[in-house]
Amino acid sequence: MTELSARLKPLFRRSSTFSSTKSSASGSSTTSDALGDGHTWSKGSFRLSKNRKPSLPISVFEENEPLPQPPGALPLTPTEKPRFTRRNKKETPDTSPETPRSPPLEKQNPILTVEAPTPKLGTRSGKAPEEESSPRDSGHLAGTDAGTTIGSQRPGIAHRRRSLTHQEQSKDISSLLGSQSPALQPTKTDYFGGISVSADMVPKKIWVKRPGSSATQVAIKEDDLVDDVRDTILRKYSNSLGRNFDPPDVTLRIVYRKQSARHSNSERTLGPEESMLKLIEIHYPGGQSVEEALMIDVPKRQTPRHSPRMAMQYYLPEDLRPHENGTDYFPPMPSAAQHSPHLPTSLSVSSAQGGSHHPPAHSMAILTTGQLPNLPSPGGRARHSQNNRPRYGRQHTSSPTVVQTASIALNHENLKASQQPMPTPPIPEEMTPHKTATPPPRVASPRPKPNNNKRTKKPVDQAPQPANTTVPPINVLIVEDNIINLRLLEAFMKRLKVRWSTAMNGRDAVTKWREGGYHLVLMDIQLPVMNGLDATKEIRRLERVNSIGVFSNSASSTPTFPKGAGIDGTVGGEDSLMNTALFKSPVIIVALTASSLQSDRHEALAAGCNDFLTKPVNFEWLTRKVMEWGCMQALIDFDGWRKWKDFSQTKPADAEKKGIGANNSKSPKAALNGKAQSTPKRDRMASLGLGGKENTGSDGTGTDTLSNGDSGSGH
Amino acid sequence: MTKVSSIPKTAFPSTHSQPEEGSEGEEEDDMASHSTEDPSETGSTGLPDCGDSIDLPTFEQILEMDDDEDEREFSKSIVYGFFEQAEATFEKMIASLREQELATLSSLGHFLKGSSATLGMTKVKDSCEKIQHYGAHKDDAGQSTDMEDTVLLKKIKATVATVKVEYKEAERILKQFYHDPEH
Repeated sequence: MTELSARLKPLFRRSSTFSSTKSSASGSSTTSDALGDGHTWSKGSFRLSKNRKPSLPISVFEENEPLPQPPGALPLTPTEKPRFTRRNKKETPDTSPETPRSPPLEKQNPILTVEAPTPKLGTRSGKAPEEESSPRDSGHLAGTDAGTTIGSQRPGIAHRRRSLTHQEQSKDISSLLGSQSPALQPTKTDYFGGISVSADMVPKKIWVKRPGSSATQVAIKEDDLVDDVRDTILRKYSNSLGRNFDPPDVTLRIVYRKQSARHSNSERTLGPEESMLKLIEIHYPGGQSVEEALMIDVPKRQTPRHSPRMAMQYYLPEDLRPHENGTDYFPPMPSAAQHSPHLPTSLSVSSAQGGSHHPPAHSMAILTTGQLPNLPSPGGRARHSQNNRPRYGRQHTSSPTVVQTASIALNHENLKASQQPMPTPPIPEEMTPHKTATPPPRVASPRPKPNNNKRTKKPVDQAPQPANTTVPPINVLIVEDNIINLRLLEAFMKRLKVRWSTAMNGRDAVTKWREGGYHLVLMDIQLPVMNGLDATKEIRRLERVNSIGVFSNSASSTPTFPKGAGIDGTVGGEDSLMNTALFKSPVIIVALTASSLQSDRHEALAAGCNDFLTKPVNFEWLTRKVMEWGCMQALIDFDGWRKWKDFSQTKPADAEKKGIGANNSKSPKAALNGKAQSTPKRDRMASLGLGGKENTGSDGTGTDTLSNGDSGSGH
Repeated sequence: MTKVSSIPKTAFPSTHSQPEEGSEGEEEDDMASHSTEDPSETGSTGLPDCGDSIDLPTFEQILEMDDDEDEREFSKSIVYGFFEQAEATFEKMIASLREQELATLSSLGHFLKGSSATLGMTKVKDSCEKIQHYGAHKDDAGQSTDMEDTVLLKKIKATVATVKVEYKEAERILKQFYHDPEH
């Protein structure tokens, strides 16, 4: 029988919980009302299970929406059984079967009857709890005998109908219940013969608390077992515990008031089968004080470094106690962390919610950059990095080193910018045909010199820490005659963990490029022997005559070759490239120019550069360029870079394998190419339509816009 | 041109600016006024107040390449490499001035422009750019000009003098930063 009543408990408690929630939510009744309400409810439900009579919840409801039986009047008769069973089955449609029955109580409390909510209102508001309770009811129905069935239905009904009660009535109901309960008390003891607890000794609420938190009261019923209390507690801690733990996970500890002779320990974990009230009675005669709150323990999901909890220090001074709900989203305060008993719980809960004891600002950064800022290790003092947090956070959110997603976003941005009528430099005649085969020039890119003013505002320690894992493993050719710049660029490349080679003049650059396998060329413009523009033109010419990046199946992009070179790569003489398989696509040439002149940029773009960077090369920008272009190239030359991944540093000289790769990659490459080139073509059209003269101005605006946006995001 | 014409609004009188290029000088100071704010923001490098000589963000990104913040091996080698390069270039410039080789001067100016820009020596860079322009028969804004070679050489000479002063200032600051015993 104890077991049965234990089973019934959740249902009762549910109704009481709802009533208190509702009344507090309504705002019309105070918290104490809500508490009092719940309190009384538990009493009522106690009475029901004891007497096997219509429960108090039901009788309360009868006052609202009358039932035939006056409370406490009728024991369950066989005739009632079918009625309840039937009603339970019909639960969903309506409560109409009950409404006609007018009980005597209605006369006693006519006001309540009048104020009872209409069924229409009730069906809406009562729906959710109804659905929630019905599976439980049916579960009980299936597994138990008839007597149990009735008993278990009743609370369900009571609960369901209780939810129909208008929220503002909770006060009335509680006062009603309060007035009724003394009369009902005499019947208490006969049911639970074993537990003879006099009513005034019974604490209606017990104090519980989580280690390190402040105590809180939960309402219990007289016959509640520890098991039931766990349920109640999880509802009380619905955020911090209820989302992560099930009632069986929770253990309750009782801390003895004083070191009694009987107990060698000062505390004990409560078994689920123990009666809560009895425990309280025994251990805290005269009532449980706040300090004697039962400890709620939840299993640790990660082993913290701290020592096992110490028994005594549970109660923190008021000012040191972290807010109860705060443990979810914020790491434990240092003061709390010093108390080792408190930490396990906080840690376990927070770790269960995604390790949020790290400042949340980092999580995204870690995701996007794949790099963990200098945070303390999980076992360490979580608060340690607090001082640095804003800095780290900003650094990473503004970081341009982010992975492909960010690059794509960036590309969108650039796309947008470049879709505006953008100027192009006057294109020399010979350049026109092969433009289609070369990746688009990037018109809106690095800042012109005046914009450096903006950049100076940015603290440099926000400069990206290159996300090593995310930079595509491209091969970069650095063409730079100034040893200082060259060394710095090399350092950048080292930092980006990409492969690179260097060339000190334009002739060198072309020679190196002919070896193949380069994805990106950083080309200084003014170079000895052969300047960067000439080297660029030469590279583009060679690409053209070797049909690099030209696909014969895409007719629209098939250029007419003025020099008569065959599309299928039948190029004779010194112009032919050794390993065409190493040239999956036109190389991206990013011009490096210290010039602040627009004309120089236009010249560079006209020569066939795709992009340009202004000196001094900003690492942030360089990273961005390497990312953007590198990702694109890596996509185009997927097989190639997969090979590099495999062979890592070994020379990519095995051309035979590459040949296979080239064939295989043809179709995806074509698709990609079409995608990549559709936009540039549009750009070109637009810019050509605009004409050349006033381009300088509009180019400046375009670049400015981009730079502004960038510097804005950097802060 | 638009850039230059818009500058004079900024009210930072420059002590270094050449008389005929006041607007350019003020532009530098405008930039420098931003960079002077930076030490407080970053606070990490311990760079002295380099004022308008060095663009801190640019220089700091070189410092970031250092593996060891105490040794500063990499950045130091870069900076001191630049010192040598600059000294050598100045000598070549003076020689070229004597020889009146405008084209050589232009390329020398461009050469030093690149590395000084990399180090964030804004003023040096700007002066070098002017030398480059003058040597290529352009005015200081990069527009073609029909100035006489002698005029251009004169301008270059003045600019070289200026750039040496600017360079010395930057050098002093940097050497101080690297705790060079000479300073």
